[in-house]
Amino acid sequence: MRAVLANSTLILIMSKLIYFLAGVLLLLSCRKDVIENITPFEFKAPDYFPALQYHFNSNEVTKERFELGKRLFFDGILSSDNTISCASCHAQVHAFADHNVALSSGVEGRLGRRNSPSITNLAWSPSFMWDGGVNHIEIFSVAPITDTNEMNETMQNVIDKLNMDVSYAQQFKNAYGVGEVNDQAMFRALTIYMTMIISDQSKYDKWMRNEISLTTQESTGRLLFEQKCSSCHSGSLQTDYSFRNNGLDSEFTDLGRGRITQDENDDGKFKVPSLRNVLLTYPYMHDGRFLTIRDVLDHYDTGIEQSSTLDPILSNGIPMTEEEKDAIIAFLETLTDYKLLNAHWLNQ
Amino acid sequence: MKTIKFIFPLLVMGTLVLASCKKEGCTDPAATNYNDEAKKDDGSCEYAQETGIVTVEMSHVWGMSGAPFTLNAELIHPVTDDTMTYSTFKYYISNFELKSTDGTWWKHPESYFLVDVSVPSSMNLALSGVPEGSYTDIRYTMGVDSLRNVSGAQTGALSTTNGMFWSWSTGYIMVKAEGTSPNAGSGSFSFHLGGFSGVNNIVTTKENTFGATLNVTKTGSPKVLLSANAARMFHSYGTISAGSTVHMPGANAVSLADGFYGGVNFVGIQ
Repeated sequence: MRAVLANSTLILIMSKLIYFLAGVLLLLSCRKDVIENITPFEFKAPDYFPALQYHFNSNEVTKERFELGKRLFFDGILSSDNTISCASCHAQVHAFADHNVALSSGVEGRLGRRNSPSITNLAWSPSFMWDGGVNHIEIFSVAPITDTNEMNETMQNVIDKLNMDVSYAQQFKNAYGVGEVNDQAMFRALTIYMTMIISDQSKYDKWMRNEISLTTQESTGRLLFEQKCSSCHSGSLQTDYSFRNNGLDSEFTDLGRGRITQDENDDGKFKVPSLRNVLLTYPYMHDGRFLTIRDVLDHYDTGIEQSSTLDPILSNGIPMTEEEKDAIIAFLETLTDYKLLNAHWLNQ
Repeated sequence: MKTIKFIFPLLVMGTLVLASCKKEGCTDPAATNYNDEAKKDDGSCEYAQETGIVTVEMSHVWGMSGAPFTLNAELIHPVTDDTMTYSTFKYYISNFELKSTDGTWWKHPESYFLVDVSVPSSMNLALSGVPEGSYTDIRYTMGVDSLRNVSGAQTGALSTTNGMFWSWSTGYIMVKAEGTSPNAGSGSFSFHLGGFSGVNNIVTTKENTFGATLNVTKTGSPKVLLSANAARMFHSYGTISAGSTVHMPGANAVSLADGFYGGVNFVGIQ
């Protein structure tokens, strides 16, 4: 009697266990079928950075999406002759700017129109391109892919090429659960990779986190920077993302922001760039006209050209002594993020 | 008995686990059980009430006379006298709504269509999931609403692979008309119209009253017939000899789009 009881209790427990296990399997099986091997991969934002502009709402970060985005970023398949990738003009060793050239070379050596900017910390950027013509990071990549001077490809061809590649098709399926590669998934994967290029390991960051102190010259430079530069290069990313005419020309060959807004009051204005890794990303300005950072400071000191849209702050230039320039440059050097340059997980 | 107790749950749960692995599901966004992860529709769509499909049929004419508008044929503009041979004519129409006899508007949750005159099937805009009932009016947007112009990567009719998207100043090309003309300085014309904000906005909502009731049933195939007069694009813009290329938002795009949208008319219901 006792043995029978024990036996039926055992069966009861076992059948409950089976229900439980089956329930777990049931939950897993649904998810697994749609998107296989989802692994969490975190986007970490430093708390002293400004408000995030990209929220990952329809595009959560996963390792699969990151890896897919990375593969696309380094792959010439996005260009018409398969030679130019995103990384061609946004190289990690140059903090994801071009290789210290004023204008970038696209397919067949065709020259672009503007300097390739460093593309770090894009999740904080409210607009894209020097003129802010692109309103959302997800569709940012259409411009370089379809520009005849850059990748010179059509979106349809890119998608067709990716679909013909079995390993890409599988990767898209794993990352986004799509049976066929589509442009939305491609843009979102690239967005994941690009937004994960976060530069927050510079000496300046360590100082912001109270981990280290700056040298006397760097501290002096920081205070001078605050006084003389931070009305535009404000905040922990050194930009207010506004569009301004910083006195490069009295007549404009490139209308900049004015081309986008079609408002002549915006002619000759360009986006205030972040100064993260600025010493690595020479030459400077939208057209790469200044080779060194000292040239840039000299421009603000004595080279301002007057025009109707010149930013009022700059109408008399920014007077600086040579010693002050040395100190500002020493401070700008603290914005260099050597860890980013060596981050193997961002590389192929 | 004991064995049954043991095997039964195994069978039940096993079946459930297997069944749950289907990639099929309801793929209609208008359904209450719409599954955005399902790839193949398995006919399981459920709706708050019985629904039917309303097809909006676009036809294209050239001028007030109602002459047919065809690509790759020489057309004379009735007002400007320009001779025009179109190779491309595409435009977006979106955000369909139907007004019920009870006065309420029903809005399709996701209706974006790219009408391409070279693709006959693109002229039949199928609105699925329309609740059964009687309708008296239709409302729709010519173009792509501003929100979708600033919401990042899209799919379907709004995919960038359709070549209806500006990359340099992001936003949709809402009307694309291209072709050749001896009246154009360069011998060809190309109008890419877009713009969704401020004075450059060309997005226009139109509303038409049927003058009769459109009955939607599960099995019926009601149609709303609309006609678009391609010639009316030049209503206020005038001859293309004054400018045969417009590739950006602005006053010219507004004039051309307003002209064309003004020539989109309700023809009838079937």
